[in-house]
Amino acid sequence: MSQANSTLVAETLMMAIVDSSDDAIYSKLLDGTILSWNRAAEIIYGYTASEAIGQPMSLVVPPERHQEVQDLLQQIRQGDRVKHFETVRERKDGSRIDVSVTLSPVMDAQGKITACSVIARDITVRKDAEKHLEQMEGRYRGLLEAAPDGMVVVNQGGKIVLLNAQAEKHFGYRRDELLGQKVTNIIPEGFAERLIADGTRSAAEALAQQIGTGIELNGRRKDGTEFPIEIMLSPLESTEGILVTAAIRDITERKRAEREILALNRDLERRVELRTAELSCAMRGLSESVKELESFSYSVSHDLRAPLRHLDGFLTLLYKKSYSTLDDSAKHYVDCALQASQRMGRLIDDLLQFSRLGRSEIRKMQVDLNLIVNQIRKELEPETRDRQVVWKLDILPNVPADEGMLRQVLENLIGNALKFTRRRPVAEIEIGSEPGPNGEVVIFVRDNGAGFDAQYYNKMFQVFQRLHSDQEFEGTGIGLAIARRVVERHGGRIWAEGIVGKGASFYFALPS
Amino acid sequence: MDLNPIWLVEDSASDIELTLSALQESSLANSVVVLRDGSEALERLSELRPGGAVPPVILLDIKMPKVSGMEVLRKIKSDPSLKNLPVVMLTSSNAGPDVRECYLLGANAYVVKPVEFGDFFDALKTLGKF
Repeated sequence: MSQANSTLVAETLMMAIVDSSDDAIYSKLLDGTILSWNRAAEIIYGYTASEAIGQPMSLVVPPERHQEVQDLLQQIRQGDRVKHFETVRERKDGSRIDVSVTLSPVMDAQGKITACSVIARDITVRKDAEKHLEQMEGRYRGLLEAAPDGMVVVNQGGKIVLLNAQAEKHFGYRRDELLGQKVTNIIPEGFAERLIADGTRSAAEALAQQIGTGIELNGRRKDGTEFPIEIMLSPLESTEGILVTAAIRDITERKRAEREILALNRDLERRVELRTAELSCAMRGLSESVKELESFSYSVSHDLRAPLRHLDGFLTLLYKKSYSTLDDSAKHYVDCALQASQRMGRLIDDLLQFSRLGRSEIRKMQVDLNLIVNQIRKELEPETRDRQVVWKLDILPNVPADEGMLRQVLENLIGNALKFTRRRPVAEIEIGSEPGPNGEVVIFVRDNGAGFDAQYYNKMFQVFQRLHSDQEFEGTGIGLAIARRVVERHGGRIWAEGIVGKGASFYFALPS
Repeated sequence: MDLNPIWLVEDSASDIELTLSALQESSLANSVVVLRDGSEALERLSELRPGGAVPPVILLDIKMPKVSGMEVLRKIKSDPSLKNLPVVMLTSSNAGPDVRECYLLGANAYVVKPVEFGDFFDALKTLGKF
């Protein structure tokens, strides 16, 4: 290519570059006359190239800044470059724009400075943002100052850049004594590490962390004393980078209250322990006296058997021997005496049974209740032979229990059902099960017999307590006490419902 | 049939009377020797001579003053010359522990007082003697 051609290509290239730039690129003579004006300059300043070229630079300079232009040109005449000079210019429509200008001297072939080239960047947006930020910071500072907590703002170097009056009060410093100091001066453990960690979290995360509990640390006052504080951190974006705001609360009072509560709790716990110990002592005493009662019952009933035996034996002999010689009333007397001794024997047997219950081991296995019920029914056959008895029997589930003991319970309940339905032309006895709460198995025995007065419910399950007279229905009054003992020893419970003249239902629940 | 006297070791007069009455009913031909307590029984036992008259069965009450029935039973069953003597314990009740202990000590049978003729006969049958 010829010299002329390559120059042309180079110039064309140059022009393309200049015109495609977003920054205003123009040039002027040393007296300020505009020589060239690129497309971006047209956009930024609002003047077309034909409008601008030939005009003095002051076209786009606000009046108060004219001297500034002269000073810049002076620097150029001296051969200096001016880089990134921030200033304000005026557009064609009169609006102000913030620009950052870079001026360079233009030399002719002899090296003489003849003109000045300018690159101007519109930094209005940036400036606006900065102003906005400044405003925000200003507002922030206001809030900070007014905050009820001590507020300390720390930069990434761990130095305090801002604090409020509360913080001064908390730590006993004047503001100027703390600004620029390391935050570890007032918070020895520092949250510098946290600063780095927490400060780099996103605003959202930090906000989330802020809500809820703060961090407990120790603060150190100017006089060297330490006090407990709680701080809550949040990041703050600023022109100086990410800062961390710490809201500091003096929690001396709270800590004291906490300690008090702890002390109170401990005291309460101690009292509960004592009470529990007392109670379990009493319980042990109680269970011991129950044991005593049981062994007493055992030995007494054992010892009572002998004279009873003799009573019964001799009465029977008397009866046999003198039957023919006794008149009716005499026979009656002997009958009564025999009955009484037999009743006493039953009472003693029952009492013995009751006392044995407490002492014997429970041997738990899966018990087939249906089998037991059928066996009991067979045993009671003599009683039902001449009676109308309708049995309604559900299939009963197997339960984990001591078979012998559970048999006693059912013997009692079914026996009672039969006994108290004696006066009914048709006795109806229902035996079934229903599921109970907490996975319990509830077995019931229901009858349509004499029922009972619910008013005396409390007496029913007690030893030797009966709700019917012996004339109405015989019994020792210990059957239900035995049943209750057994059920309770299995960890279950027993209860009953009854209506006088209608019938009764007895329930017992066993844990499964 | 062994017609040597049966021993009844029992302290209660009433129990003795009732038992004798029951034994009478059983139409046993044997006479009955009554020993009033355990120590008497032990004495009589020590007088026994091999080849001499030995009771076909000893009815032994459990609860006696001085020496109890259990001790007499123990003595009998631990003595090689005596341990083959059939012993029927007389108990107040068929409460488990008593009966269990009797059998552990080696009683041959037990009868619940008052001695009923029927029970007594059953007991004798278990002894296989009559």
